[in-house]
Amino acid sequence: MIGVDALSRTILLCRDYVTDEVSDEEIAHAFQTLRVLCIADAANLYGHTAQTALVTLVSLLSRMGMQVVLAIPDLPMLRPQPPIAGKGILSALVSASERFMPGATIGSAGVGYQGDVVFAIGTSEIPQTDASVWRLGATDWSGAIHPAGLTRLPFCMTEWPIGGMVSALLAANEAFKYVMRTFPLRQKSHEIFFEMTPECTWDYGAVALPEDSIDLEQIDFISAGAISQAVLYALSRLPGVQMQARIFDDDPTALSNLNRNMLSLLENVGVHKVHVIASRCAPQFKIEPVLRRYESGSRDIRLAQRVIVGVDDIPSRWVVQREAPGWVGVGGTSHFSISSSSHSIGEACSGCLHPVDDPEQRNLIPTIAFVSFWAGLSVTTRLIREALKTPYPSHRQHLWLTPLRLDQSHAAIWSPVPSLAKCPVGCAASRCRTSKIL
Amino acid sequence: MAVAVEKKFLVDVTYNGVAKPIEVQPEERVSALLAKAIASFGITQNPHPLSLYREDGTVVPENESVERAGLKPNEVLLLRPNAVKGGEGKLLRLASNILDATFETLKACGRGKHECAVYWIGSSAEDVVDGIEHPAHLASPFGYEIDSKWLTQLWKQLAASKRSIKAQVHTHPGKAFHSAMDDDWPIVSQAGFLSIVIPNFAAGKPTVENAWIGCLQPNGTWRQLASAHEALVLA
Repeated sequence: MIGVDALSRTILLCRDYVTDEVSDEEIAHAFQTLRVLCIADAANLYGHTAQTALVTLVSLLSRMGMQVVLAIPDLPMLRPQPPIAGKGILSALVSASERFMPGATIGSAGVGYQGDVVFAIGTSEIPQTDASVWRLGATDWSGAIHPAGLTRLPFCMTEWPIGGMVSALLAANEAFKYVMRTFPLRQKSHEIFFEMTPECTWDYGAVALPEDSIDLEQIDFISAGAISQAVLYALSRLPGVQMQARIFDDDPTALSNLNRNMLSLLENVGVHKVHVIASRCAPQFKIEPVLRRYESGSRDIRLAQRVIVGVDDIPSRWVVQREAPGWVGVGGTSHFSISSSSHSIGEACSGCLHPVDDPEQRNLIPTIAFVSFWAGLSVTTRLIREALKTPYPSHRQHLWLTPLRLDQSHAAIWSPVPSLAKCPVGCAASRCRTSKIL
Repeated sequence: MAVAVEKKFLVDVTYNGVAKPIEVQPEERVSALLAKAIASFGITQNPHPLSLYREDGTVVPENESVERAGLKPNEVLLLRPNAVKGGEGKLLRLASNILDATFETLKACGRGKHECAVYWIGSSAEDVVDGIEHPAHLASPFGYEIDSKWLTQLWKQLAASKRSIKAQVHTHPGKAFHSAMDDDWPIVSQAGFLSIVIPNFAAGKPTVENAWIGCLQPNGTWRQLASAHEALVLA
């Protein structure tokens, strides 16, 4: 079995709750020995939304180190699914075996194969099994999972795959919790976080989609890490989306990034993230890789009208917010929770939302694939809505979401962003509030 | 016979997506509620400071009582990391003449040749600056040294009038920064104390826009603030 290095951030997150008696190797082993069977028949898989859900689910499971087995036909891949490539969806996924994460294999199921956990796309037939079984369903903007036996969840056959990616997230979360339930936890009261979700749906809220393209125009991405990669992973699957982008970062891909960087593969370790992204998103998007950090000394660079901030460092967010001439979308994670917000001119800014630096962020950050992807997907929906001129209302300017138990009524909290008198950015909203700022 | 009135009520605190009812009393401090919530969820491994947020996105002030904070029965509160708590200082409100007076003093004393310092003072009970003190000091282009007798007198005066030093302000010849000497010898060594360094012997306009502003941390280090707005506002 592969060592713990590539899963180090995932293990760190598990440590929030797993007792110290369990070694890092034992945590890694538990993830790496989980067998997940993904099932889809031709009728359910012949659609871009379903294919996106499947590819996303397999990527998320693999990035947690799990062994994935596919019981699916090798249908033509209907649209590009970076970072994997190929003509057939089965062959493309199998070719990604051990490339999302060392030791995380992806194979084709033999007759009678039994997984520990089973996920079925839409109404696909599920063979008799003693495993935990879930069905995935989706509409354009919402995704759902149900335990098998309940009503079969259809996948919409439209090509807008936000809901498909949501269903993959919900499923990956259940696989994660399945493993967490095998560990002794620090307190019995923590078990509630990892209980199986009876059934749940997440809906980003539908907006009308144009029949022609969606032009995002110029966008700057600050950081080429997990959040930006999640946003670009999602955008690259949305039909008709156009943009011209720059991406700022000077980090090379590290082995420990593979647990969450959705556009990266094992062969990219050592390659600068900006180059990985530019290459993965071509030719659909023309992305200019800028091999430097955007920071306070970057005033020679005029930022685009729309900026996506995926950087963990809070002071860097302030710098970007100060310099940004227009809309700013910010995504971040904190342990099992995500924060997503957007800030137009005149609204309370990201400095009002994240007003003081958190030195802990400079240490190794605990992360896991599905949490980072939730953050990126949430920012993506904000960006699309902004481009369609149907942004979320002000009482939804911020989303705090903890995906572990999305069946719970307060797992996600939408809220306004109050302007802050001591906003470190000194945004217009905060100046209005304080009337007279120095 | 006096009748005891039951005043306790429940609020729903949510953490990691799971909500738990927690009992509070109106006179109880929010900080006590926060501690109960943290204990209730068994949070031992998350190193980030946590706070309680309302559904309208505002933070529930920890130094208030539950009643004064306006918490209501069955109100939903979100327990989540709050970097706001990393900042020790509250907003320091400056009386309108303080900046002008500070710059006039620094310019007149330093005459564009020497460093100079003033202290911003105000009531010990409030985060308000309503006066400045210009110390007796020696000065050179590269530093200043406060007269110890003057300092002793100042401490006595402040104690008698229940006032305190809120921030130290001094000039540098060129760029504003905090020198090693500045780091090591603040006049007040209390977390949250502000130090402001004005560039170019305060030759410019009376503003702290280009100043170095730092906040003393509990561990004795200085954290440079991103902007004056983080610590100062005109009253």
